[in-house]
Amino acid sequence: MNGAMKISAKNIALCGVLSALALGLSVLESFFPLSLLIPLPGVKLGLANIVTLFALYTLGARPALAIWLTRCVLGSLFAGNASAFLFSLLGGLASMGVMIALRRWDRFSVFGVSLGGAAAHNIGQIAAAAVVLNSTAVIGYLPVLLFISLVTGALTGLLVSLLLRAAAHLSLR
Amino acid sequence: MPTRSSPIKYRPTVWDALIAAAIIALGLLAAVLFYTKNARGGSAIVTVSVAGEVAERAALSQFDGDHVYTGNGYTLTVSAHDGEIFVSHSDCGGQDCVHTGAISRIGQSIVCLPAQIVIRLESASPGDADVIVG
Repeated sequence: MNGAMKISAKNIALCGVLSALALGLSVLESFFPLSLLIPLPGVKLGLANIVTLFALYTLGARPALAIWLTRCVLGSLFAGNASAFLFSLLGGLASMGVMIALRRWDRFSVFGVSLGGAAAHNIGQIAAAAVVLNSTAVIGYLPVLLFISLVTGALTGLLVSLLLRAAAHLSLR
Repeated sequence: MPTRSSPIKYRPTVWDALIAAAIIALGLLAAVLFYTKNARGGSAIVTVSVAGEVAERAALSQFDGDHVYTGNGYTLTVSAHDGEIFVSHSDCGGQDCVHTGAISRIGQSIVCLPAQIVIRLESASPGDADVIVG
């Protein structure tokens, strides 16, 4: 990897706006959590991932990582839950890694990248929970979480696909 | 970086279906691995662990009543009666453990992530044997 990376003022401004948007979406989501309908730890719509995925396609891997990390840190500061931060950090790291890899591979559409990211997020969180709780009991949640991730991942993919098409004429880089 | 030049694929591809299939397969595998081990039968043992340490272990039939556990600064009230066990009160933010409702079968569990408390119903048979013969 060559370290040369041009960071223009425009890019920094865009990253800031997208981070704020992602943070806003994750706070908004906390007002109507999906876990009220499906009461399992870790169940969520993942609205903020719309922004991260959009950034991955329009700005690239590193800005997307920066936006995700900013949202993750500030989001858990707002929620004030240190253990939730650990879970979302590990889930998010797995998710970002998979999404960046799938995007690089160049065979998958926005949908595939989104699905892979959503599933990886759940697997990362379950792995973190299994380690923290020192119990394999949480693995019992994985089948349900993975099934839900198919739905939420496809939905995120659809929204980002529409957004990217709408923004195709903009030169965001 | 090569990502800059690769065109965006807006529509689902066959490869996406492969990812979806892989996720379904993984889910089924986890379900089979986890739930076939915990077949019904025998009397259940309640194990409550706090931050990975077993705090209480008792037969479900002898667990009736309210039990209070604290973990990571949160307090949970676990209630049991008629072979069912549930979290009746928790002062955590998410309330996932309360919403999980009652569990009664071996293999089921209630997890409270903020309090790091796991309530698990296990088989009373010793060890982790799948089949006991004789």
